[in-house]
Amino acid sequence: MLRKKYYTALTLLGISLTIMVITVFASFIDQIISANPPEINRERTLILDKVSLYKDGKKTDAIPSLSFLQKNIRNLQSTETISYFTSREFISFLNGKTTGHVLKFTDENFWKITDFEFTEGKAFHLNEVKNGARVAVISEKTKAYFFNEHDALGKTFPIQGLRYTVIGVVKSASPFSKVYSDVYVPYTTDINIQLTDKAVEGTYNAMLLAKTNDLRKVRAELRSRMNIKNTVSAVDSVKVHAFTSLEQFSKSSSFNDDEPEYGKTAIVVGIILVLFMLIPAISLVNINVTRIGERAEEIGVRKSFGATSGNLVNQLVIENIIITLIGGLIGLGLSVYASQLLVHFINTFDPLFKMPTDSFIISWRVFGFCLFSCLLLGLISGVYPAWKMSRMNVIYALKGGNNL
Amino acid sequence: MIHLSNIEKVYRTKTIETIALNNINLNINKGEFVAIMGPSGCGKSTLLNIMGLLDAPTRGSIVMDDQQVTALSRKKLALFRNLKLGFIFQSYHLINDLSVIDNVELPLLYRKGISGTERRKRALEALEKVGLSARTKHYPNQLSGGQRQRVAIARAIIGNPEIILADEPTGNLDSAMGEEVMNLMLHLNKTDGTTIVMVTHDELMAKKTQRVIHFFDGQQVS
Repeated sequence: MLRKKYYTALTLLGISLTIMVITVFASFIDQIISANPPEINRERTLILDKVSLYKDGKKTDAIPSLSFLQKNIRNLQSTETISYFTSREFISFLNGKTTGHVLKFTDENFWKITDFEFTEGKAFHLNEVKNGARVAVISEKTKAYFFNEHDALGKTFPIQGLRYTVIGVVKSASPFSKVYSDVYVPYTTDINIQLTDKAVEGTYNAMLLAKTNDLRKVRAELRSRMNIKNTVSAVDSVKVHAFTSLEQFSKSSSFNDDEPEYGKTAIVVGIILVLFMLIPAISLVNINVTRIGERAEEIGVRKSFGATSGNLVNQLVIENIIITLIGGLIGLGLSVYASQLLVHFINTFDPLFKMPTDSFIISWRVFGFCLFSCLLLGLISGVYPAWKMSRMNVIYALKGGNNL
Repeated sequence: MIHLSNIEKVYRTKTIETIALNNINLNINKGEFVAIMGPSGCGKSTLLNIMGLLDAPTRGSIVMDDQQVTALSRKKLALFRNLKLGFIFQSYHLINDLSVIDNVELPLLYRKGISGTERRKRALEALEKVGLSARTKHYPNQLSGGQRQRVAIARAIIGNPEIILADEPTGNLDSAMGEEVMNLMLHLNKTDGTTIVMVTHDELMAKKTQRVIHFFDGQQVS
């Protein structure tokens, strides 16, 4: 490996770049679908973000309004907690700079379904929501922005011209998550709600925490709620769409707006992974054929002294897997920088609303997946050259592999 | 020990057919030291490769150690080579990335039931026999030609093969070193009773063996 420095460097470069791309991709998917803090109950958390209204055979889709949700999506037997929330944005001017912030209007239940880590203070409670108290829970990034490193608790800052008092500071959620925000305030302080909330159509989502992982019960209950006459006047029927993060991901990746299709999702993700891996694997096969070809004499010697084709395939594939694992570790390291670079790139499109640079987190799941990808890449790129070499005529191999 | 009957080897391309060996019948007895001589291209090395089961004859049969080996599978041929045969090549064919001792151990890597400690012990014994026990950690490119060939001999004998096939083992060495290597092979033949078949151009070396077989144009002439 060290003696063939050129081929080893080329191989390591190919592997590390491939693993880097795969890691960033896997980290992105992991943050969308896995039960990472603060969304530790993702597999039994449904986000209701769409209502379909049917009238005279025509369907109209809408984001539900808070009043619709509060009237129809409450006191479900199959759920433990239900929270309502909406995401808005506000602009702040500080030290001559204009910055955009994500603002979430929500209720006290939001903090029961999620598991945010509070570095300071606490969440708002029912009373504060009922009374429309102008209190806020802010992310660490927002704290750093408004208050530098000083204590934020009890201090105020402006949102849309009104001053809110900080009562809690949380570690930021993933920006790819539905619960991500820079600032969380009680929905009762949403002054625009009269403008945005209609009978059915509005800007709010509901987050439903099911009692068990059997989500069919929740869906059945939601259906029965929608079957009650006069749920919404002037339409024939109403359907609400409530899905887990995984189902949402499946819907969007299978290009189906209404239902998740895991088969299609697997195909789409599979195609992306194959594209990420196949082209580098083909290049690695070629590099490996040349690299192993340079060891033809060694192969010939080993065969002369009793090595079987199986022995040689094992040896060469294991060597290739070791190189791949080294490349994979380099790729994993590079993925940290690559993800930050990607965030900077994304941020250039919307300089007001900047994503945190640590938006991509490499969890143990992602690490495990990368390890699996390394092994797969090692096998794909190693087996064929090793097999080809192991079948080589001994005499030609001893002469340096002129018939390879 | 080695019985070759009606061996023929033909190399075919789209346009040319070359007969490398033509109707070879040869018996080599157990414990014999035989030299094969002849001009370049007469088929000596081809014959040695066929005896070493590294190449298959186009026609004919090979019986070695009372076993018909002509139709053995690749896997069984590999096992046979590992257990019964040892090779010494003109250009040594040592693996440059491996140390002397690792090169010597190589045949035992493919033999089942031999521990790493046992391999090391036997490699040291083999190196002792060829007088290179002080060079175990060196790499082939740190050795002289004679020393490399002695490492190759240690590698050939580590598995206690019954037959050693040597293809011009002194061809790349000066006369003193060639003499040294030849004496080693004679010693092995005498003390261990190893059957040795050696291809050589060197008449002085050939004369030291028990029998000299001459080849010309793919045929045995004496």
